Amino acid sequence: MGNRKTTKEILEARLKRRKRNPLYHPSALKKLSLDFEQWQKDTLREEDRKNWFVTPRTVLGSDIPREMLYTPLHHPDFDYMEDLGHSGQEPFTRGIHANMYRGKEFTMRQLTGFGGPEETNERIKFMLAHGGTGVNVLFDLPTIQMYDSDDPVSRGQVGMSGVAIDSVEDMDLVFKDIPLDQVTVSLVTHYPSNTAILFPMYLAMAERRGIPWNKLRGSVQNDITLEEVVRSGPEYIPPKDCFRIQCDNIEFIRQNVPQWNFVTYNGYNLREYGTSCVTEMAVALANAIGSIQEMLRRGRDVDWVAERIAFFWSPASDFFEEVARIRAVRRLWYKIMKYRFEAKDRRSLWMRCHVQTSGVSLRREEPLNNLIRAAYEALAAVLGGVQSLHVDSYDEAYSVPTEEAALLSLRTQQIIYAETAVTDVVDPLGGSFYVEALTNEMETRILDEVDEIEKMGDYVTAIEKGWLHRKIAEYFHRERSDIERGLIKLVGYNLYPSPTALPPINVFRYPEGVEERQKQRLAKLRDQRDHEKVNNALTALEEACKKGKNIVSYTLQCAREGCSEGEIFKVFKRVFGLWKPPSLW
Amino acid sequence: MLRKTKVLLSKLGLDVHNRGLITVAKELSDAGMEVIYIGNSLPKEIISTAIQEDVDVVGVSSLGGAHLTLGGELMEEAKRERLKERMGFVIGGVFPPGDAENLKQVGFDETFMPGATREEIVSKIQKIVSDKMEVDQKK
Repeated sequence: MGNRKTTKEILEARLKRRKRNPLYHPSALKKLSLDFEQWQKDTLREEDRKNWFVTPRTVLGSDIPREMLYTPLHHPDFDYMEDLGHSGQEPFTRGIHANMYRGKEFTMRQLTGFGGPEETNERIKFMLAHGGTGVNVLFDLPTIQMYDSDDPVSRGQVGMSGVAIDSVEDMDLVFKDIPLDQVTVSLVTHYPSNTAILFPMYLAMAERRGIPWNKLRGSVQNDITLEEVVRSGPEYIPPKDCFRIQCDNIEFIRQNVPQWNFVTYNGYNLREYGTSCVTEMAVALANAIGSIQEMLRRGRDVDWVAERIAFFWSPASDFFEEVARIRAVRRLWYKIMKYRFEAKDRRSLWMRCHVQTSGVSLRREEPLNNLIRAAYEALAAVLGGVQSLHVDSYDEAYSVPTEEAALLSLRTQQIIYAETAVTDVVDPLGGSFYVEALTNEMETRILDEVDEIEKMGDYVTAIEKGWLHRKIAEYFHRERSDIERGLIKLVGYNLYPSPTALPPINVFRYPEGVEERQKQRLAKLRDQRDHEKVNNALTALEEACKKGKNIVSYTLQCAREGCSEGEIFKVFKRVFGLWKPPSLW
Repeated sequence: MLRKTKVLLSKLGLDVHNRGLITVAKELSDAGMEVIYIGNSLPKEIISTAIQEDVDVVGVSSLGGAHLTLGGELMEEAKRERLKERMGFVIGGVFPPGDAENLKQVGFDETFMPGATREEIVSKIQKIVSDKMEVDQKK
C-alpha cells in the first residue's frame, strides 16, 4: 500500500490548517483551573481524590476511564461552531436535521419474521395496526444461509428465527396487502450474497404488482462483515468475491432503485457477537470507506454513492457512552466524507442510522427486567439522534418474541416518543461537559481503530488475515470472565440474584407445518416454471460471475423466472469456490 | 493411564450463533480436555465423527429454534448406534422454559442455558464422563 495515506493522516493534515475559535476565554480557564485544584483539595475526601478515575464495566462497553466531575477544563479549546454546530449544520454532531424529531418521529421499525410468509405477513400487519411505522423483516436460518426449504440441510429449521423465503412467490406472500409504495421496508438480508438474491425477488414482486421501482423505499444490509466474520455457517465464498458482490449490490440498487438504502453497514451484529463499541463503529467505517473507494474505481461519483449510505448500531448498557458514541460517529463520518472524499452533497455528509437495543445485554434470569434494560438503551439512542429504532423484547433469551412481547417493545418506543417529551428539544445533552468530553474521546478511539485497519492494507485484507476474528475471540472470552468474576454487574444474575424461582413467562412456540407447506410450494414452482428460461437465467448468471460483470441484473432475471435461492447460491459457490474462515479459538 | 477427556463440539444445523459454543470450546480446552470443534453439522455427520474420533462427550449448540427437531434427531442416531452408554450428550442454547426437560427426555444428559457458568459447564461434563466410566467398569 506504500505511500497511500490513511484516512486519519488525511484528516489530520486537512484539519490542522483550520483556525479554531474557542468559546472559553484563556483567563477564565486559568481562573477555573486554579479554582478546581482548590476545590479538589478543600472539598474532596482523600479516597475520592484517589479514585477520581473509574472505568465502568458494562456489557459490550469500552474501557474509557471516567472522572468524577467534568468541567470546561476537559475541552479548553471548545469551538461551538467547529465541534458541534447547530442541528442540521456541519459537522452534524447535534443531528442531521435542524428540527430532528419535531420534523419527523424516529421510525418505529420492529423486527418481524417467523414461520412461513403467511404468519409473518400477519405479524407485520399487527405491528402496523398498532402504530408501527416501518417494516423490518428477518429471514429464517436456511434463507439467511442460502439453502432452500427442501434442501436436506434445512430440515427441522424452516421458519425458525425468521421467515422462510425460497422464491419470489414467498416474497409476494410476506408483503400481501402491504402498500409497498407507502411504508418503508427493511429487509434484514445480512450478507452481500443473500442480498443479491433476496432483494431481486423483492423487485420482481414489485414488478408483478405494477409498482415502479422508484417508488420503493427501504433498506437492505449487504455487509461483508456478517457473511465472512459474524456467523457460523457450513459454506462461505471468499472475502474478495463477497466484497465484489457487496459493491455490485450498491451499484445496481443505486442505479435502479433510487430511494433504496443499498447498504446498511452493520456494526450491530458485530458488536453483539463480541467487540467493543469502538471496534463496532471502526469496522463499519472501514468497510464504508473501502466500498466508496471501490465505487470511485468503478468510475462512480462520490455523491452518487454516498447519499444513500446507512449504518446500524447497537446501543447497550453504558448510557452516556451510547449517546456520545452516536454523536461522535456522526461527526467523524462527516469529516471523512467532507475531507477525505470531498463530497459535495449535504446528504453524503450525513451519518444516518437505524439502531436496535442490545440482545446480549438481556438475561434469561428474571426476564421482565429486560424491559427496563431495553427502555434505557432505546432512550440513549433517541438522545443520540438516531433515525430509526427496534427495541428488543424481554423474552428473547427464550425464543422469538410473542405477540404480547413484540407489542410491548413497540409501546416502549411510543412511550418515549409521546410521553417523555425528550423529543421536543434537539440534542438535549449537547453541551454537557461530560457528554462532549466522551464524544471527543470516542471519536479519537474510533478513528485510531480505522487507522489500524487501513494500515493492514484494507478491510478485506483485515478479514482474510483473521485480524477481526481474533479480536472478537479475545473480546468475548474476556467479557465472559468479567461477568463471572462479577466485574460486570448484572442484576438478578450476579448481583442480588433472586433466592426463589420466579414463575415462568409465556414463550413463543413456532407454528407447525411450515416446512411441509414451504416444500409443497417449492415443488409446485419447480414443476410449473419454464425450465428453459430458468436454465438460461442461471447460465447467464454464471457467465456474469466469471466475467466480472455486475451480477445483480442477472440474479434479478433468475428471480423473475422463479429460480430458488438455493439454485442461485449454487452458482456463486461453483464460480467463486469456498473459503475457510480463521478459527475463533 | 487416564486419557484426556475428548469432547466433540458442533453447531446444530444452520444456526448462525456460535459465540457461546466457541466460549465453551476454549473453556473446556483450558480445563484440560481435548476439544474437536467441527462447526455447523447435521446429526448424522456429528454422530459419525463422534464414532470416528471415539469421543467421550458430544456437545451441540442451538440458538435458532431447532433444538427439539435436530436435537431429537441427534439422539435417535445416537441410540441407533448404541452410543448412549459410552458417550455423554449435552446441548446448550436458547430454549423456551420446559424444553430442557423435553431434551433430557429424548436422551441428553445435560442442558445448558444462557447464564451457565464456566464452572458449571466444566464440572457437569466431568461428572458425565466419570459416571459413564463407572457404568463401563461395572460391566
